[in-house]
Amino acid sequence: MALTRRQFLKWAGVTGIGAVVFNGCRVPDHEIQVQSPVEMPEDLVTGRDNYYATAAQLGLASEGLLVRVMEGRAKKIEGNPDHPVNTGKHGIRAEALLQALYHPDRIKHPLLRIAKGGPFRRIDWTEAIERLTAIISDRDPNEVLLATPLLRGRAADVVQAFADGSRIRLQGFDALGCESVAREALRQLYGQNAQPDFDIAHASYILNFGADFLGTWINPTHYSRGYGEFRQGDGRSRGRLVHVGARYSTTAAAADHWVYATPGSEGLLAMSIAYTMIDEGTADSDAASALTGGHGARALQAFAPERVAARIGVDAHVISELAHELADKKHHPALVIGGGPAAAQANGLFNMLAVYALNALVGSVNRSGGLVFNPEPVSGRVSSASLREWKQTLADMRSGDITAVLVRESDLAYGLPGALDARGALRSVDTIVSFSSFLDETSELADLILPCHTPLEEWGTDEPNPGPGYTTIGFQQPAVNRFHDTLSFGDVLLQTGSQLGLPGLPWENMREAVRSLAQDLHERGRGSVVQPTFAEFWKRTLERGGWWDTGATADGSRPDLPELARSAPAVSSADPSRYPLHLVPFEGIGVGAGQYAHLPWAQSAPDPITSAAWDTWVELNPHTADEMGLKNNDIVIVESSTGRTIRVPVYVNPATPPDVAAVPMGQGHRAFTSYAARRGANVLDILEPTEDSETGAFAWGATRVRISGTTRTRVIPKLEGLEPARQLHGEELIFVHKA
Amino acid sequence: MATRTQSTRANHKWGMVIDLDRCTGCQACVIACQSENNIPLNDQTAFLDGRAIEWIRVERYWEGDYPDIKARFLPVLCQHCDNAPCESVCPVYATYHNNEGLNVQVYNRCVGTRFCGNNCPYHARLFNYWEPVWPEDLRNQLNPDVTVRTRGIMEKCTFCIQRIRRSTRGGKQVEDQAFNPACVQACPTDAMTFGDLNNPDSRVSHKWEDERAFRVLEALGTNPSVKYLKQVDAHA
Repeated sequence: MALTRRQFLKWAGVTGIGAVVFNGCRVPDHEIQVQSPVEMPEDLVTGRDNYYATAAQLGLASEGLLVRVMEGRAKKIEGNPDHPVNTGKHGIRAEALLQALYHPDRIKHPLLRIAKGGPFRRIDWTEAIERLTAIISDRDPNEVLLATPLLRGRAADVVQAFADGSRIRLQGFDALGCESVAREALRQLYGQNAQPDFDIAHASYILNFGADFLGTWINPTHYSRGYGEFRQGDGRSRGRLVHVGARYSTTAAAADHWVYATPGSEGLLAMSIAYTMIDEGTADSDAASALTGGHGARALQAFAPERVAARIGVDAHVISELAHELADKKHHPALVIGGGPAAAQANGLFNMLAVYALNALVGSVNRSGGLVFNPEPVSGRVSSASLREWKQTLADMRSGDITAVLVRESDLAYGLPGALDARGALRSVDTIVSFSSFLDETSELADLILPCHTPLEEWGTDEPNPGPGYTTIGFQQPAVNRFHDTLSFGDVLLQTGSQLGLPGLPWENMREAVRSLAQDLHERGRGSVVQPTFAEFWKRTLERGGWWDTGATADGSRPDLPELARSAPAVSSADPSRYPLHLVPFEGIGVGAGQYAHLPWAQSAPDPITSAAWDTWVELNPHTADEMGLKNNDIVIVESSTGRTIRVPVYVNPATPPDVAAVPMGQGHRAFTSYAARRGANVLDILEPTEDSETGAFAWGATRVRISGTTRTRVIPKLEGLEPARQLHGEELIFVHKA
Repeated sequence: MATRTQSTRANHKWGMVIDLDRCTGCQACVIACQSENNIPLNDQTAFLDGRAIEWIRVERYWEGDYPDIKARFLPVLCQHCDNAPCESVCPVYATYHNNEGLNVQVYNRCVGTRFCGNNCPYHARLFNYWEPVWPEDLRNQLNPDVTVRTRGIMEKCTFCIQRIRRSTRGGKQVEDQAFNPACVQACPTDAMTFGDLNNPDSRVSHKWEDERAFRVLEALGTNPSVKYLKQVDAHA
């Protein structure tokens, strides 16, 4: 076919235009990934994942973490195997940090309330910092309160420096605050300011008073690491655990022997054991002499088993047996632990002094398998203020001595006993500023909300308390970029401090604060990371998730042991004839005392003993329930001597003592996201605002209650069926090895 | 590809040993599993309806009465039985036994007859009664390695097969304890041990022969790939 010039140009034009058009219509190259099936198994995921080591402070607990990040999103959290405290393991709350990061109800940007009681409007961070600066600078510093949760590491340094520089009041808030009683006992006995480690892994015998250290107390992941070895560690005989407590907790369930002692009598029991050991000459003679002022058993004869058995509710021969077991050298090293409700009593310090003194009597102080002292921390700490201090603070709010409250993740309106009416006190304050990422009850009252990062987004350090017996500093780095328009709490304070011209805040931001600490550590030239240059040290420390120095241990010297009390302090309580049951509040395995109630995984983790989740219930002994005509799921009114009540369904728990009503904490929020609000009841609300007579700490285990029935029922959400599951005799599911 | 995969993977026989003397029932395994495997959020209604999905759950059994009472915990997951009663009843071959000892569930084949769930004596298989729903932001956490199961199909523990595949892909030789399922990874007391039973030097192989080892409902002859070590009862 002849091709004319005109035809050629026409075809060439059409082809060229078509090429351009069709090229423009095709799917761009970067959206097509054709791979050979040989290289594309069915489960291959395209993309690259990275793992970032970081650290998280979870209340009193510390965990070193590895965060898997893919395409800029955090996907999974696991324990950092290098971190000395949790050595590769992690608990529910660490896992749920992912849900804090991606929580649908997070506050996404700064908010300003237009008028008292009015709605919020969005503001930017520049305006937010300016307003915060003005709130502080317009007042006498003593009128401003900064309330934070317990803080450690660099965040504590920044907060303390900010408070010192601005001269505002600083108070740590922990709804329970009971660790302060045990800490005071350890300070008086052994001169220790840092919480000692419990060397559970190397102990042969553990006598535990009240502390649910395998469930919720201080750092369960760390203690569980030791517990596994204590039970079935290679090359050692199985340890024996005795638990004294009012509720059959996770730790009680793990124990070889559970002893129910009347709540508040734990110190009496410990003193009675001490008396028996000293009287029989089985205690360490130097310690016995010091603790009794040289008078020996005579000084403690008021605690002879037969004299105190009735008050403790434990037979005298059982007390003697416990003393014999504890003193038996074949059980050594022996370790004595105490805390939780045993410390949260009006005689809490007496209890803890008696409990921890037993360690001296069995020679387990600062040694393997016993109490292991920790060195003084490198960074500062913000500890919890006592209930006595909080009562004064609330009074100052009402009287107008405090006119501005700055609050970071401290839900005062929820966590303080209802009888103190913290909500009313907060309402009387001119201005409330919240740094919370979630709208909890206190933040609901705020005029200005400056939402801060969650732990996976920010810089910081965490010095575990207790540490593993040597200086340990977990380094916290952002595993992901910030997800919303939030700032690090430390950065907010540093920027505000800069505007206020505060002295003592040399860092531009939290990253610089962390780097300056790293520089100090680098200059030591020792520890887990030693590098010639700081740049290399910084990189390696972040890769490992921290720095620790096994050689930096506590000073071994300690002051002389003090003399123990010769009689138990008198304790008054509500009239048992009107309030016949001891109320034993206990932390939820996931939600704690309410601070994790906004996280769905924390809510849905079933309580190990009852298998219940998402709710509040009251545990009653079967006979007690029978006598009251109550059965599972019946709603009852639990009334304390404060006159305050909660309505909760009954869980008939075969392991609950007859004179105990046990209620989980953590629910009953009015706000705090859709996962927490209007669910269950807040047992903290009905607690008597009783203090430990000496430290002023909150005696949250010292309330008595009465229970009355209603005609209503509510089924408790739980994993098990309607009736408690039991092993069938002769057809056991779980076989047991008789030792 | 299939030939190469089979020849390399057939070397493994995955198994687990759970030491009940170490287990405290703390639920860390339960939540770690839910995070790793994109398990729908178990809300209050799921518990009330008896429809909570937990690929591993911790059961608690009482013995005795107050004050001489004891709670015993039993973490229950798919036992990956060699004679699995669930496999023989599936009309569409959605569940089968692979050559590494795993009881495998093919979600795309499953038509939701629930025969397998009825036939599982361990109640380890769970049915998706509802479409799994996450709030928009929470979807960012979902594990890209794991399929989100739709409504109407059965699901269960896979021994975290995605981790097995990732570690053994391409016939890679894998050292003992180089990886673990999410539950084992989390367990704070080291109660759970996972590994290759074909490797006589693996930790799980040693524990498999422990004098305390037993299988749950052993009389049924299902021959599970999970063994438990008896809790030790010292005198009270």
